[in-house]
Amino acid sequence: MPEHLDFNSDSESFHQKKQFQFRLYVAFIFTLILFAILIARMTQLQWLEHERYQGLAEGNRISIETLPPTRGKIFDRNHILLADNQPVYTLKLIREKMDNIDATMLAIQVILDNIEPQRVHEFFQKFKKRNRSKSYSLPFSLSEAQAAQFAVISHKHPGVTLSARLKRTYPYGAAAVHALGYVGRINTKELKNLDPKAYRGTDIIGKTGIERYYENILHGSPGIQQIETNVRGRVLRKLETLPATPGKDIHLTLDIKLQQFAESLMGEMRGGIVAMDPQSGEVLAFVSTPTFDPNLFVDGIDHKSYNALRDNPNRPFINRVINGRYPPGSTTKPFMALGAIENKFISPNKKIYDPGYLVYKDHRYRDWKRTGHGLVDMNKAIVESCDTYFYELSLDMGIDNIHDALAPFGFGAHTGIDIHGESKGILPSQKWKREVKGKPWFRGETIISSIGQGYNLVTPLQLARATAILANRGKVIRPHLVRSHKTEVLEQIEIKKISNWEKVIKSMENVMHSKKGTARQHALHLPFKMAGKTGTAQVFSLNAGDYDAETLHEKLHDHSLFVGFAPVDKPKIAIAVIAENAGSGSKTAAPIGVKVIEEFFKLYYSDLYYPEQEAVNTNEN
Amino acid sequence: MKINLSQNQQVYRKNKGFLESIHIDGWLLLGILLLLATSLAVVYSASGGDEAVMTRQAIRIGVALTVLFLFAQIPPNVIYIFTPWFFLLGILMLISVLLFGDVGKGAQRWLEIGPVRFQPSEAMKLILPITIAWLFAHSKFPPSFSRLILGTALIAFTGSLIVVQPDLGTSLLIGLSGLSVLFFAGLPWKVIFTAMAGVVLSAPVAWHFMHAYQKQRVLTFLTPESDPLGSGYHIIQSKIAIGSGGIDGKGYMGSTQAHLEFLPESTTDFIFSVLAEEFGLIGVIGLLLLYSLVIARGLYIASQAQDNFTRLIAASFMMTLFVYIFVNIGMVSGLLPVVGLPLPLMSYGGSSLLTLMISFGILMSIHTHKKLLSN
Repeated sequence: MPEHLDFNSDSESFHQKKQFQFRLYVAFIFTLILFAILIARMTQLQWLEHERYQGLAEGNRISIETLPPTRGKIFDRNHILLADNQPVYTLKLIREKMDNIDATMLAIQVILDNIEPQRVHEFFQKFKKRNRSKSYSLPFSLSEAQAAQFAVISHKHPGVTLSARLKRTYPYGAAAVHALGYVGRINTKELKNLDPKAYRGTDIIGKTGIERYYENILHGSPGIQQIETNVRGRVLRKLETLPATPGKDIHLTLDIKLQQFAESLMGEMRGGIVAMDPQSGEVLAFVSTPTFDPNLFVDGIDHKSYNALRDNPNRPFINRVINGRYPPGSTTKPFMALGAIENKFISPNKKIYDPGYLVYKDHRYRDWKRTGHGLVDMNKAIVESCDTYFYELSLDMGIDNIHDALAPFGFGAHTGIDIHGESKGILPSQKWKREVKGKPWFRGETIISSIGQGYNLVTPLQLARATAILANRGKVIRPHLVRSHKTEVLEQIEIKKISNWEKVIKSMENVMHSKKGTARQHALHLPFKMAGKTGTAQVFSLNAGDYDAETLHEKLHDHSLFVGFAPVDKPKIAIAVIAENAGSGSKTAAPIGVKVIEEFFKLYYSDLYYPEQEAVNTNEN
Repeated sequence: MKINLSQNQQVYRKNKGFLESIHIDGWLLLGILLLLATSLAVVYSASGGDEAVMTRQAIRIGVALTVLFLFAQIPPNVIYIFTPWFFLLGILMLISVLLFGDVGKGAQRWLEIGPVRFQPSEAMKLILPITIAWLFAHSKFPPSFSRLILGTALIAFTGSLIVVQPDLGTSLLIGLSGLSVLFFAGLPWKVIFTAMAGVVLSAPVAWHFMHAYQKQRVLTFLTPESDPLGSGYHIIQSKIAIGSGGIDGKGYMGSTQAHLEFLPESTTDFIFSVLAEEFGLIGVIGLLLLYSLVIARGLYIASQAQDNFTRLIAASFMMTLFVYIFVNIGMVSGLLPVVGLPLPLMSYGGSSLLTLMISFGILMSIHTHKKLLSN
């Protein structure tokens, strides 16, 4: 200790010490006075008013119970129930009130014949060590028959009460699970961030999808009930009640029939389908495959099932619609073509000769068709999906102009859908590469970007939305899953010449309906005109030789893509289909897209387009 | 003053027992152990005989006692040297709580570093009084005006960082612990009485800046019966628990208020009510006597300390302990508004116990690391 801190060596510090000790006395006396006040208070409560409080304590049969709110239900657009609350039975146990705990355990083991006796035993081992006066729920639910069985013998087992609670159920199981999401038990992290008052008496919370996004609406708020009990805590009478406010029901824009139909078309394939009403942005189908059953999560999933799902190589937990990022391939071409002719980089009638490749800086960029497409104008470039045409175009435009042409369609940006955590995808530009990769842009990258390869990545939802905006002739909409009364149009893309838009759309119609269109064979039978574009996206660039589906590992196969909308003039539905590693767009994704659109018209416009079927239906009815 | 060093040394050695040689103060330890034993017993009863709760608390007590022992080994001059750095670190942590803190239950109080999650304001309960003591270690009695202003500014700055979390209760209590150092350092009585008058007069202004939940607490405190379904319920039930205990109590494990779950937070903030119900007025007086013993011993240590730095720390720690005891018991008996504050050494929980034991460790270190000088 430094010398000057030593106070014992002179009279001044002695004086200082005396002053300090005086203050210590003052503090101690102050302490004693306040403790005396506390004791006076205790004397008042425990001695003078003791009888009054004694009476209150003995008469204290009024306890407060929380009434948890009923969670709002979720319906599809046609009022079909997708998320419901079903009553289930469980047992509540209070150790203090039990006469013979082992006999009760045995009785429960006998009744719960579907549960291994060992698991009941384990619960009881823990239960015996917990708070004697608290009520604990048996972690197994009882069937109605088991509940009835217990009701008969319940008088022999005091301290055990049968209680009913509502359990979230998803009647359609795995259908639309990635949109709907699911609820599960509140975990410690969630517990930290939620209002404990609002969740008193509730042990579940929305974990993903709509269940999570609209948690505040679905949850409601708990009520309070005063209950009068007897000495042993048995309920005698219910007094004042402040009822719980149930959560609000939600109506989705999804059509569960169309959803299930679309899911069935995907079969065992991985991928995503989004169908939406282009006018309003209402999402009609939201498919991410493979799916899983949300009912498993409500009461807590067991480790074995969870691990099986988590370790499934097909990754069912991934929400491919908003988090699957895929190269858009040739589906990017109509958007790029429109940007090019609107900004006069090329005239729609200008013809370019395609020998089957483009040479740039000693590198050969090949067309998918080795022999080339010959003389190609914009229409032919879209209809036959000519790569060379777009290679040339991209060199004239440059990556930044391509970026500016595609950005208004929502590529590289959040769509704003009402589900948490969507990916942005990537719409590259010079600035993007500098900022993210820290490297300058190479023009060779512009070339592959023009056919939706390279850095470009989109989610199925972004692709469907871009298609919807094109179908709308530039009306930008926000895709959403919950029905709202007002249609939200965010903005209108500036149209320089409406005929340019119609030309691109006409070319997309030709993809479906003209002799040389890449998807013509799938649309021959349609009673209406639709527009579309196929895409085949390389997952892996092969250095030499041809793409040989037979010998290539399945995960290296091309992704199959399709975008489309119908009818061409007044679009009612826009769609994007991405099937992972499923080969060419015209082979796999296009027929799926066409079938979903056709199903939609059968469901909603059968009188217009399918009068015969309508007749059949009415006969059946 | 001339001192015969060797003679003193001998006297000192003679009196030095085993406990002192490992830097433990026997009287203080006895008081603490008696309180902790009472705590274990009452927590067990309040939890309705929950063995898991009991085991966890026993482990925490073990850890906390070890920490006490470790801190008792650190000589006060080492703490003195590091004080400015501790303060700087504490302030940085408080700022980072505001910037990256975990928002738990509407307030940013927690900081997460790797697996460790803690409240920097908890550490500040110790650091601030030590810092103010450091500031006055060199000063004369009464201290200069400029030094008092500097001390007040440091207290206000620290308090304001905690108040915006927002955590008004902790901020006030930490501020109070800093102010107690100013008091012991010789803050003129004139200033003390003027400040007290100022606080009373500024109450309406403070009311204006309070959060809704804080206003609610004050209103409920004034008329608990007005809100019998909400937070007034806690106070009513707590008073019933205490009052029904009578003079000799309902006996151990006899708290109907806790066991029938009328009493909220019966193992933590309202543990005193359980004790009062089961052991009555006699138990309450016994508890307050134990607390008085600990505080008296702490103040004695302060009076025997050899320099300004250590005596200010020791005295301030004891005043802080006293304030916590008074506020908690005042709250559960309806004398003070409901503030979420544990009862020192009694409530179930880890972090406040740890802070307390560190302060006791420092106290013992002050008493047992004295230089071989005496009058």
